[in-house]
Amino acid sequence: MITQTNANDVLLVCRQIVKSYNGPLVLDKVDFSVKRGEVHALVGENGAGKSTIIKVITGATNRNSGDMMFDGQVIPLNHSRNKAQDLGIGVIFQELSLIPGMTVAQNIFLTKEPFFPGTRFINHRLMNRNAQELIDRYQFPLKATDVIDKLSIAQRQLVEILKAMSMNAKLMIMDEPTSSLTKTEVAMLFEIIRKLKSDGISVLYISHRMEEIYALADRVTVLRDGKLVAVLDKEQISPAEIIRLMIGHKLEENALAHKLEPKDGEVVLEVKDLTSVGKFEKVSFKLHKGEILGLGGLVGSGRTEVVRAIYGIDPIDEGSITYLGKPYKPSVLRSIKSGIGFIPEERRLQGILATLSITHNVGITNLDRLAPKFVLNLKKEGEFSREGIKLVNVKPPVPEQLVGNLSGGNQQKVVLAKWLIRNLKLVIIDEPTVGIDIGAKDEIYTHIKNLASQGVSILLVSSDLPELTRLSDRIIVLRKGKVFTEFKDCVVTSEKILRAASGILEEA
Amino acid sequence: MPASATFFIRRFPVSSHAVRRLILIGLMVAIAGLITSINPVFLTMGNLQKLFQEAAQVGIIAVGFTLVMITAGIDMSIGGIVAITAMVSINILSYTKIPVPVFVPLLLLVGAFVGFINGYLITKFKLPEFIVTLAVRSVLSGLALVIAVKDSLGFVQNVYIQNDQYLWFGTQTFGSIYRTTIAFVILGVATQLFIKNTRAGTNIYAAGANPVAAKLSGVNTERTVLGVYVFSGICASMAAIFISSRMMTAMPELGIGSEMDVIASVVIGGTPFTGGVGDIWGTMLGSLFLALIKNGILKTGISPWYQPIAIGGIIVVTVIVDVWQKKAHEKLTARAKLRKLDAEARKSAA
Repeated sequence: MITQTNANDVLLVCRQIVKSYNGPLVLDKVDFSVKRGEVHALVGENGAGKSTIIKVITGATNRNSGDMMFDGQVIPLNHSRNKAQDLGIGVIFQELSLIPGMTVAQNIFLTKEPFFPGTRFINHRLMNRNAQELIDRYQFPLKATDVIDKLSIAQRQLVEILKAMSMNAKLMIMDEPTSSLTKTEVAMLFEIIRKLKSDGISVLYISHRMEEIYALADRVTVLRDGKLVAVLDKEQISPAEIIRLMIGHKLEENALAHKLEPKDGEVVLEVKDLTSVGKFEKVSFKLHKGEILGLGGLVGSGRTEVVRAIYGIDPIDEGSITYLGKPYKPSVLRSIKSGIGFIPEERRLQGILATLSITHNVGITNLDRLAPKFVLNLKKEGEFSREGIKLVNVKPPVPEQLVGNLSGGNQQKVVLAKWLIRNLKLVIIDEPTVGIDIGAKDEIYTHIKNLASQGVSILLVSSDLPELTRLSDRIIVLRKGKVFTEFKDCVVTSEKILRAASGILEEA
Repeated sequence: MPASATFFIRRFPVSSHAVRRLILIGLMVAIAGLITSINPVFLTMGNLQKLFQEAAQVGIIAVGFTLVMITAGIDMSIGGIVAITAMVSINILSYTKIPVPVFVPLLLLVGAFVGFINGYLITKFKLPEFIVTLAVRSVLSGLALVIAVKDSLGFVQNVYIQNDQYLWFGTQTFGSIYRTTIAFVILGVATQLFIKNTRAGTNIYAAGANPVAAKLSGVNTERTVLGVYVFSGICASMAAIFISSRMMTAMPELGIGSEMDVIASVVIGGTPFTGGVGDIWGTMLGSLFLALIKNGILKTGISPWYQPIAIGGIIVVTVIVDVWQKKAHEKLTARAKLRKLDAEARKSAA
């Protein structure tokens, strides 16, 4: 896969990279190379190994085996962030690493501040001048003395780029740089990427957005399940082809294609023109009794924001919600009282009370029944807990066990249990199986299916496409905060969903 | 050794907590033995009475403080609340004829009010607990001087309390136990029952364990946090009544600086700064431990100047031991898990 033609053409070579975090292989003998002065896109589904390979290249983590060469120098197995910087590898992460309260110049020259000769006192004037020169060279809309806090996200990215440039970066890695930019900002960033390229700097670009890759990339590397699938040259790049490669034609493709059979019972939830400025716009859909409605779309497409608004966590700017035939004004307490459950994404941050027992975790959403007045019915709380543990099969089945000490799958089961023992009419589930093992996944799927067959309506958000297609009765795909398309009454595959999420409309 | 340890963890999955408590009790017995061997006066009724009263005076404040710590907060204003409450009390005793049974319960409102201010600033404006309560402490310590009873030259007067009804609280015993101690035990037990057996108590743990998850589960975390600071204020005011009664006087500095003793009691009792964990039993033991150390320093003839050194040292050691124990526990659990996986792999291979 690596071109042997001219070693000077190639800036970065990775051969047979293997990486595992105590368990399954995250990178399985991956070959990867970046040429000098090219824009190279790296694509793959969530969990394909994109971010791991970036971490390996930038020294954020170390590979287990395999050879790496950058600019003619061998990178040893014990790589580190500092060494990567010294070599000339710059990274712009999604979460920017600038220090608020400092100026642009201070951030660019952090730990490399120029001193007055013979002293250890910082020469601010010189530092600002150097920074301004750097800014002017690329004609960025910035001033060296601007304080980071008042800059937009796009401007902050520029500062990150400058920071890397000041260290003479030869390779600039950008991880989803456009995810929080406006259209004009994206256009500006593309201009800058092209400028970097013409200066001979290589750009490694990671994005979920096919049109960006199409517009920018000279070559594309596709990863799937930690393995290299293909390297495409400029003329071979087409969004549909990339998606096909990302999903892959596995043997069980037929098993992954699901016939969607929408339920058309009574409407439990109707959302009309729901808008939250900057998050989502005019989102409308209906949810029937006992139906599982899947919400698909890329990360940042507004799925989570929509369900959070319906549950009453974030405010709504416009639009209406009708729940059980009545106009509904969401608030968390009202939602809980009226039979809505919410299983949030990011279990550790939002779902579990790690320092408390299973019993208390299950109890917390049921306090209305456990303590209608004031005193907590401990006996009943214990019964609820045991009921919940039995219902979802938590291991170990010990009510006193602290939830922080359970495995990820069992933690998620506890989060499920605290709602399942309630009399629910609607459950909102956001990314139910992130980071949990296959066995627990299957169990959770069974519970979701059972719940629906008991007549509970389910709003399911998932980035795991096989999961979404397998569970849903109907799927709505959001794109950039709007409903892009709906799948019902047809056979759906992961590929179809991903194409829709990437903005490719199917001809019927 | 690791084998027996993993066995222990398998048998008692959550009991590192209980082990810690047993160690604390054992340590207390050992220290008491040591002190007695140096100075047998330690074990006399009179000394023990005083020791328990000393523990209670700090412990009453620590009970409220524990709830604040469970919500992952901190209340630095407690010393200031003690001072201001005592000064209000002295003023009432000096200048009015309001009967004790009427005004003493009202004194608790002083702490409740300050606690409300604390909680309101913290929850409404999302301010850091430490800064808010530290600022309030400063305000209160100044205010205490302002309202202190002064002589004709404007100097703070050392007023002796002669009201027998007021002295009833801190100077008299019930049976052979000081009323302060009894109040402490009643308060501690009631609070323990409250946090474990009521809805509001559950909310306190939830708000400290994970405020986001708690909120998504329908807990009103703001109201919970506000309530906890009010309670902490009430406890501090209550302590002020007992302490001033016991000393039969009150200076405007009363209670200022007691934060250290209170924090030590709570931390020794096993309530960490990180929130979501802790109970009152631990705090009660912790305040007893602290009183024991202080009393021991006096009874063994060591200079009392060493008391703050000992307290600071104990806090640091406790925190180190807690961190170390947590790490060791995680390591052992991980090892047990690995062994289990190993055994399963071997089984399936066979």
